[in-house]
Amino acid sequence: MQFQQTNLSLPALAVITINRAAYGPQPGVFDYATFNAMPGNSDAEKLAAFVDWQLYPEAIDDSPCNGRIAAAGLSTLNKSLPQLWADHHEAPNADRTLPVEDVRSAAFLRAIYSQRQLYEVMVNFWHNHFNIYAWDYAYASSTWVHYDRDVIRPNALGNFRTLLGAVAKSPAMLFYLDNYINQSGGPNENWAREVFELHTLGAENYLGVMHQGDVPGYPSSPVGYVDEDVYEATRCFTGWRVADGEWPLPANINNGEFYYYDQWHDRFQKTVLGSLIFANGAAMTDGEHVLDLLTNHQGTSRFIARKLCRRLIADNPPQNVVDAAAAEFYANRAAPDQLKRVIRVILLSPEFASTWGEKIKTPFEVAVGMLRGLNAEFNPVNEWWWNYDDMQQSLFERRPPDGYPDERAGWVNSTAFLSRWQMSLSITENWIDQCVTNPLGLTPGSLRTANAIVDFWIERLLGRPMFTPDQRKRIVDFMRGPYTASFELSPTYIADHIARMVALILMSPDFQLR
Amino acid sequence: MPKTISRRSFLVGCAGAIAALAGSRLTSLAFYDPSAEPAIPVPNAINSAERLIVVFLRGGWDALNVVPPIAGEDRGHYESARPRLKIPVSGAGAAINLNGQFGLHPAMAPLFPFYQAKKLALIHAVGLQYDTRSHFDAMQYIELGTPGLKTAGTGWITRHLQTASNLPGTLLFPALSAGGSQASSLLGYNDAVAMNNPNSFRLNGHWQYEDEQRAALRDLYTGDIWLQTAGTEALNMIDTIESTNPGNYIPANGAVYPNGSFGDNLKTIAQLIKMQIGLHVATVDLGGWDTHEQQGDGSTGYFATNLLTPLAQGLAAFYKDLDGGCGSNFIKRTTVIVMSEFGRRLKENANRGTDHGHGSVMLALGGTVKGGAVYGQWPGLNNANLYDGADLAITTDYRRILSEILTRRLGNFNLSAIFPGYTNYAPLDFLLNAYPDPTPIPPGLDKKTFLPAINAPGASDNLCP
Repeated sequence: MQFQQTNLSLPALAVITINRAAYGPQPGVFDYATFNAMPGNSDAEKLAAFVDWQLYPEAIDDSPCNGRIAAAGLSTLNKSLPQLWADHHEAPNADRTLPVEDVRSAAFLRAIYSQRQLYEVMVNFWHNHFNIYAWDYAYASSTWVHYDRDVIRPNALGNFRTLLGAVAKSPAMLFYLDNYINQSGGPNENWAREVFELHTLGAENYLGVMHQGDVPGYPSSPVGYVDEDVYEATRCFTGWRVADGEWPLPANINNGEFYYYDQWHDRFQKTVLGSLIFANGAAMTDGEHVLDLLTNHQGTSRFIARKLCRRLIADNPPQNVVDAAAAEFYANRAAPDQLKRVIRVILLSPEFASTWGEKIKTPFEVAVGMLRGLNAEFNPVNEWWWNYDDMQQSLFERRPPDGYPDERAGWVNSTAFLSRWQMSLSITENWIDQCVTNPLGLTPGSLRTANAIVDFWIERLLGRPMFTPDQRKRIVDFMRGPYTASFELSPTYIADHIARMVALILMSPDFQLR
Repeated sequence: MPKTISRRSFLVGCAGAIAALAGSRLTSLAFYDPSAEPAIPVPNAINSAERLIVVFLRGGWDALNVVPPIAGEDRGHYESARPRLKIPVSGAGAAINLNGQFGLHPAMAPLFPFYQAKKLALIHAVGLQYDTRSHFDAMQYIELGTPGLKTAGTGWITRHLQTASNLPGTLLFPALSAGGSQASSLLGYNDAVAMNNPNSFRLNGHWQYEDEQRAALRDLYTGDIWLQTAGTEALNMIDTIESTNPGNYIPANGAVYPNGSFGDNLKTIAQLIKMQIGLHVATVDLGGWDTHEQQGDGSTGYFATNLLTPLAQGLAAFYKDLDGGCGSNFIKRTTVIVMSEFGRRLKENANRGTDHGHGSVMLALGGTVKGGAVYGQWPGLNNANLYDGADLAITTDYRRILSEILTRRLGNFNLSAIFPGYTNYAPLDFLLNAYPDPTPIPPGLDKKTFLPAINAPGASDNLCP
């Protein structure tokens, strides 16, 4: 959909930050006060302190969240890749989807309860960037713990090239984009095409079906890529497969790890992005060289920078901040803390602090935001998934490789509205097993009037006034019923109405924005 | 007790709009309110309007195995390029002979009777004439209707709806994306609805508080913030669908939709067409066509079992459902078009699959179609005739097909607005023409109030119910 520009008043920097660099406030635990308590004499200084705190998740104590994950009995999370392969792929009657079910549960628990909020936001971002349909029985579901724990998480705030290399050698991606069967005698270009188009240079740098030599800048610095680059890269990645014991591998090479099978590799020379790759290269060097070329191309810097800015700022991020982030990305492409630096540039940019109201929370973000805002006692069991999956953003379940949309057009439609409204009602009515909310218990008993109770909840959930006084008045009207807004309501009346009033705030336009 | 605000009190406003569109039909449903003014009858334009259903097969379907050559030199090229994937011409899993030159994949058998009855047409070597083998680029260009340009901001269906001169002034429900997310062809169209299944398209709160919550919700989404505009559309839709009690729907004529979301989505569209609440264009997706490996042949495999079978069964059920029980009229004004972003490489790959290609095949199904034929200019499969030496070439621009639907069925002649830059349109003549000549708007009438005469075949038939 296309909408007119709106001019909502800019909320406090704490509100912007907690809703964009985190999944919204978890009152009393990680909320607007957390931001405001950061050292510094100005919002800008507090933001810098907040970002520097959040960019080093390993230094943030997360024992309450870890305790919840331990208590949830997610038995596959600590298995090594060979163990996962043996237990969930090879074993007779193996439960092949248990690893992805466990990761899905952990992802929700961490998004809701972790103190490492920015880290969780970025883990979610990279999972979506390197999207895989994880529920496929063959290789992805059984090894999903490995993809999440060993590929995405260690690199989410690290170096892009390292992350890309880990993705390229993961059994889940090798399978999902068919490189595990890519061989010199029969090339399969699925992975090679998507690594150019979706993971690095992006479609914006695709010049289509033309000859390499016709690309402007060729060969020293071609401005983009063409189909011939995809074909040549396909040859570079031949032989990158999985130790799956499948023909012609010996049956004992079967632990699920990456495996380079030289007999399948096309050993002759190739030309990718103007760079000649000599024949008879050492094992895996051709493919690694392609990943280097992609990472070292300015187009990749721009593409990744824009995508990060889209996630953290607005659907159409201002070009200034994209340029600044791209320059940082490029300059630090060999640095182990490259992504930290880029994210810091974006979050501390003037554009981050001066935009609001043009971006809608995705279903995952809004569902997590509701549970955080209500301090829910949550444990993901089947009934949760039956409810959540109606929101059309089931975790690790997007089939095409492009990932879920991160623009409002993808989420502003009748079904999307209905499902987020229904989720608000189901959560506040406590209709979902092991998802318990108690707004009454969180409200100070001294608050007795509709005015006071509504203002308490607006501040708690939104941290700002609603965007018009009429919006607040309508919530107050619901809460007060036949009484006046300053009437001291009876405890019974409050108990009957408060959760239903809170549902309205969760359903309101205000709560959907970030 | 607080004063209860009846849900009816805020439904009345939109009930009036619906009744105005659908004559008095809906006033007997849940909108009935004895205290309200009777609905004003208006000319019943809705049920004589044309409908277009766009089925998009995501992933690039293997057109050469859907409609393979079965004779001549091209059969030889086809067989040598596809030693393991070819659809045989005889024996198990053989292609169904369409016209001596082309066959139909055997899993498409449920659609063959419609071909024989001249209600199904195939257009071969058709597609996006732009040099890309990217799914996402190709889909964008096709759906936006602007090859090579992603910044149009509106989809081709959006521009049709914006420029059509013969639509009633206020359509409550002109466009649907079945399946829960909005198609890019409807980009920029605020009145489009995305819906999975009308049975579950309802909002359930606590019985005692739900009406009040919904009344408040409607007020919260009243306003001109972009989010409010969209939210109000959603609320209108929820009210409309709930009022029609969709849970009781029984497909006509014994039609049985296949299990799965594609069948469900088609059933939803059929239901909504029969509700006669102004559905004009619907989009529905069927994904999974990116068959890089193990796609199978005519007898077995993913392509036949998981893709073509639900496609063919779903379309057959849809036709049957709209064909029966109601004076056979719905299908007479319904055109179903089936398309994909591209076809696949002529040569099979080593993994018993096919990589991204170029030329594709489109299907047209409905009472409006001059079926029983394979349309288009066949470029041949000789290496010299292939696109980029590898793929079926494109001899028919996909916009030519859509333009024929626009001008011959939907009565919209503003092709330069809908497909900017597309020139020299000439019909392929695969559709019956409801508009032999462009109908000018008579002086003194504006395009919103002018409804040109419908000359479609079957226009004088009794319309349901």
